[in-house]
Amino acid sequence: MTETITMSDAKAIIENQIEELAKRNKEPEWMTRIRYRALEAFERAPLNDPVISEEELLHFIAKPEIKGLPENIESLDDLPPEMKALLDRLGISEVEQKYIAGLAVQTDTGVIYNQFLQEWAKRGLIVLPTEEAVRMYPDLVKEHFLKLFRVDESKLTAYHTAVWNGGIFLYIKEGLKVPFPLHLFFLIQESALAQAPHIIIIAEKNTEFHLIEGCTAPILVRHSLHLDMTEAYIRDGARGQLTVLQNWPEYVHTRPMTRARIGRGARFINTTVGLGTGKSNVANPKYWVDENGYVELNGILLGQKDWFVDLGGEMYLQGKGAGGINASKAVIMDESTVITRGIIRAEAPKTKGHISCDALLLSDRATMETYPGLVSKVDDAELSHEAAIGKIREEELFYLMSRGLDEEKATQLIVKGFLEPMLKDIPMEFLVEIRKIIELAVSGGM
Amino acid sequence: MLKVENLRVNVENKEILKGVNLEVLPGELHVIMGPNGSGKSTLALTVAGHPKYRVVGGRILFNGEDITNLSPDERARRGILLAFQVPPEVEGVKIIEFLQQVLVELKGMDPVEAYDLIVKKAEELWFKEEDLHRYVNVGFSGGERKRLELLQAVLIEPKLLILDEPDSGVDVDSLSIISRKIDELHKRGTAVLLITHYGRILEHLDRDDLKVHVMKDGRIVKTGGGELVERIDREGFSEIFEEVGA
Repeated sequence: MTETITMSDAKAIIENQIEELAKRNKEPEWMTRIRYRALEAFERAPLNDPVISEEELLHFIAKPEIKGLPENIESLDDLPPEMKALLDRLGISEVEQKYIAGLAVQTDTGVIYNQFLQEWAKRGLIVLPTEEAVRMYPDLVKEHFLKLFRVDESKLTAYHTAVWNGGIFLYIKEGLKVPFPLHLFFLIQESALAQAPHIIIIAEKNTEFHLIEGCTAPILVRHSLHLDMTEAYIRDGARGQLTVLQNWPEYVHTRPMTRARIGRGARFINTTVGLGTGKSNVANPKYWVDENGYVELNGILLGQKDWFVDLGGEMYLQGKGAGGINASKAVIMDESTVITRGIIRAEAPKTKGHISCDALLLSDRATMETYPGLVSKVDDAELSHEAAIGKIREEELFYLMSRGLDEEKATQLIVKGFLEPMLKDIPMEFLVEIRKIIELAVSGGM
Repeated sequence: MLKVENLRVNVENKEILKGVNLEVLPGELHVIMGPNGSGKSTLALTVAGHPKYRVVGGRILFNGEDITNLSPDERARRGILLAFQVPPEVEGVKIIEFLQQVLVELKGMDPVEAYDLIVKKAEELWFKEEDLHRYVNVGFSGGERKRLELLQAVLIEPKLLILDEPDSGVDVDSLSIISRKIDELHKRGTAVLLITHYGRILEHLDRDDLKVHVMKDGRIVKTGGGELVERIDREGFSEIFEEVGA
């Protein structure tokens, strides 16, 4: 770091960005007020990050864009050669490659929505960039924006809230069942702003949806800090699935902030697939579950290089008969560190929770830590946990090799098999790519 | 084809094979019998290249080439297949995908062509198409595991098939289909090295055709024809051991 950024420098920068965003988005005043409230909280809010220091955070704020990337990417040939080679190896089509390189994405709205979705809009499915939703559905947004977070919880929530830009607003009208997964992939490549998309999901009573966010392919990101925030409201009887695909480059720190409120008899399955977790990835999603509701957090984590991954997950089983499962499977390579620390809190009668953590260690220089937490405030909750950290079994490897697969291919197969049960809800088109990425990672080719 | 010369093998620094000599010619059917702990499985696993079994003396030749230091997959590529006594569970790996990959890698088959062949052959070993979407050996009964080993043998058609107790822990019906498949492979030219405790698996095989070896304490102490099997069934091993002074 060459220059020191002070707190007041950072606040001045944030204030400028708030003004710019308010103007650009033609934002209603109430939203701009929330941003200012966040700015005010920023200084006094704590920063409890295991990796990013306050000094670094202030530096990110001043210079969100990383150096050394090509200035203007006008064609795929302008991509860094390693990235181009990787995209080719993954067999990604040229159209998709353009997306990944940010060529096909406009700067201010990256949400893909087409005729198909417009058709569904008539039936009560709203999919909009969050900025547009603020203008078009102010009451709905107001009622749900920043209701599951407090602005002063941490410097990261405060910073996100002050400068949030991009993201998706998903609303599903009562009773509507969306029969196909919605794949939303957004990239905002505006260099001066932080990457801070805000996602709101409102699934009204008895709805069904599956939102797939992100992308399996590696993305050329211009920012070193990614701060997305997701607020999901899964109302009574609804069934929702949120699958997040992440493949970040090695210079990115990501701090996904996800929270969901799950209504009576509702069900929410949140799967996060961390193919490339970036330099560091720290997340502690929280879920509040009402009577007979159910939540599942599935974490698939590939620890590579010297990356640091810390996946928490807190579940508050607040209604009678509520249930939660926190399951993770991690493959740990190179010199990476992976930590999992789920907590399930049984606060109502007849609640059930289970934490499982499986890790496959492929390197003796890598570190895996797991800290399951079970808290019960009632006498008839059923809470359990299991954890297993181990290497590939020699017998399995020998078995596969004795069928003619070389050590690398046999290892790839075992690793894919280890993760397979966690990928049960992911559509085939992503699975093919996910498997290929796992293979490359195991062979050290990422 | 397979020539084992004065093979000595250590497992965790304990000598298990103490000088085994064995030659299997193309198309031959050899049976290795012997009590528990005599080194039968060690011989099988060593020929297949298990890393835990360390060759400390002698060598293994396959079609004239010294394969003593080759990795298991390189041996498989030369035509050796071991059907395991207790094949391990491979969590998350579907049988169909595994077998497809093996046929693509080992035989250069097209994946679609491989799929059809696998389904067809699987049926002959009582696996339905949906069974092939189960994970390899996960939750399988003894009989299912052994049938899956035979399915792999039928698909791969190795030059040398080593069967390590294909009859242990198997129900009567599975035993009969396994036995018939071994015979079928043998008749099509595969050389077989079969390790067993007792003679029942040999019922479907032509006894006049067999070369039988009896092992004790890491050595082959007697070699003979099919009549040895009957004798062992009748008398057990002790008389033979006494006779050869082992």
